[in-house]
Amino acid sequence: MNRVSVSDYAIIGLTICGAYLLAPILNDEYWLSVLIVVLINILLTSSLRLIYLLDEISLGHVGFSLLGAYSSALFMLRLNMPFWGALIAGGLFSAVAASLLGYPFLKLKGIYFSILTFMTAEIFRLVTYNWTSLTGGQFGLSNVPGPAPLNLPVLGVVSFDSMHNYYFLTLTVLIVSLLIIYSLEHSHVSMKWRAIRDADKLAASVGVNVIGYKIVNFAIASFFAGIAGALFAHYQGALSVDPTSRFGPMMSLFLVVYMVVGGKDHLWGPIIGTAALDLFSEIARPLSEYRYMLVGSFAIITILSLPEGLVGIRRLLSHK
Amino acid sequence: MEITFALIMQTVANGLSLGGIYITIALGLTLLLSIMRILQLAHGEIYMLGAYAVYYLCVTYGFNLYFSIVVSMIVLALFGLALERVLFRPCSSEWLSTIVVSIGLTLILQNAAVKIFGLYERSIPRLAEGSLAVLGIAIPKDRLVALLIAAVLSILLYLFLKKTRFGQAMTASSQNPEGARLRGINPVFMSKLAMMIACGLAAGGGALGGSILMLTPFMGTTPLMKGLTIIVIGGMGSLFGAIIGGLLLGLIDAIFPVMFGPLVASIVPLVIVVVIILVKPQGLFGHE
Repeated sequence: MNRVSVSDYAIIGLTICGAYLLAPILNDEYWLSVLIVVLINILLTSSLRLIYLLDEISLGHVGFSLLGAYSSALFMLRLNMPFWGALIAGGLFSAVAASLLGYPFLKLKGIYFSILTFMTAEIFRLVTYNWTSLTGGQFGLSNVPGPAPLNLPVLGVVSFDSMHNYYFLTLTVLIVSLLIIYSLEHSHVSMKWRAIRDADKLAASVGVNVIGYKIVNFAIASFFAGIAGALFAHYQGALSVDPTSRFGPMMSLFLVVYMVVGGKDHLWGPIIGTAALDLFSEIARPLSEYRYMLVGSFAIITILSLPEGLVGIRRLLSHK
Repeated sequence: MEITFALIMQTVANGLSLGGIYITIALGLTLLLSIMRILQLAHGEIYMLGAYAVYYLCVTYGFNLYFSIVVSMIVLALFGLALERVLFRPCSSEWLSTIVVSIGLTLILQNAAVKIFGLYERSIPRLAEGSLAVLGIAIPKDRLVALLIAAVLSILLYLFLKKTRFGQAMTASSQNPEGARLRGINPVFMSKLAMMIACGLAAGGGALGGSILMLTPFMGTTPLMKGLTIIVIGGMGSLFGAIIGGLLLGLIDAIFPVMFGPLVASIVPLVIVVVIILVKPQGLFGHE
């Protein structure tokens, strides 16, 4: 595990400041709406990478995001919960579902685990689509409330109706989540995860509760996936689960593309990969049908020329 | 809806023909997993292309339906050969890279299909006209023909793997890659063969799917999902498991929505899979 150096802290600090300043600098509703979704996708991809610490690939992370999105929206709509409570409760709901499914699922490894998660996400989507009385079925949920105005110490009363302020809110939630994810990765628990990844039978023989630690990992990752879903629900104000929506199978697979194209072995990988692919896709929007063909080609070319992902560029440059 | 004996029989016939389609996909996926060690997520798109190839040959150019199916299978097998060479071989050492490549390929093929074929729903002519009376109940012939074609393809694959030199070499290389290499079996050649067979099977499945269901650029997603589920149910690398799993899933997909409605039907595969994992983690017919 690498020590975090002073220059790393500087880069992190500058990135955070830059991200906050982006809103007033851009001052463009459209691009802010794009960026909010990018931030949400970064949270999804970063939490997906947490599972990768076990050397497992979930192809169904979007399913747990769906649970967070719908439960958080329903907690506010049906139970009149406040926004922050619903946000956390949405994450917890997803984490509980993950712990229950984690016991059978995490007994399996590799391709089996990937297939199971992929299938599960699609089943969550179909259940949501067919459970009309609870979820609105094919029409989905509408009028999902946003956060109520907050009374903050320095800033005074802040309302989140504007795109600017929802961007700040999403960014703050993302930064807090990323800090938690990163400190987890440099913690005591992470050592257990690495031990399980490298030699699970050996780890079990020295008394590590293998399945327990794996479930904890899966639950934490799903918690953040749920938070990301909830952030999306309250931003969009409406939810639906068409096959082509962001809860569909393609999106589920694409999270893995974000992570691997960015760099799966590095903390910055999910951030760089998500930002690069989403912005590329946004710039290619006017090309209509060719847009996703180009996005697909971009992913394939990147991974064939840079097997460790876009973070590999930095090492490539410093070697020259 | 009243559940009559006739309804049950027709639903079972539907389920078996669906199962036949799923089997062609699952056999290809499990072959690719055990020989090439790749999760081919664009396999549904090969199925889709196979269906469109049959559509153009048969409907646009007026060739015989069965002749079109054979040509489509050969064309897609060659397409698979090209994919293996250009995309999968360069990254074969890294499992995750092959996943990314297959997802990128899915995006490219789906959107190319939207661009070239358009979003209209089309259909391939029925495999057979009329219906057959079984116990006094009319069963559409095309369902039975679909099941028959899937059965013939599975038996051919079985005979190929068990009775021919190449097939035995493939079985050996899936069971023990290093040992097979030491005996002079070329892994690259095995990958080429696996890719051709898998893509040919998927194209055949696409022809069946296109004649029973509809053709759209996105028609491959569901069979891919079903194929993968079957692998977990039947056990990876098991031919027999894929066939039993496919028929089981086809029957579930046909019977449960009719009997219990879509909500229950959508949960059932998950419940079955969880139960199977808890009882037998390697799948019904899989090995440790």
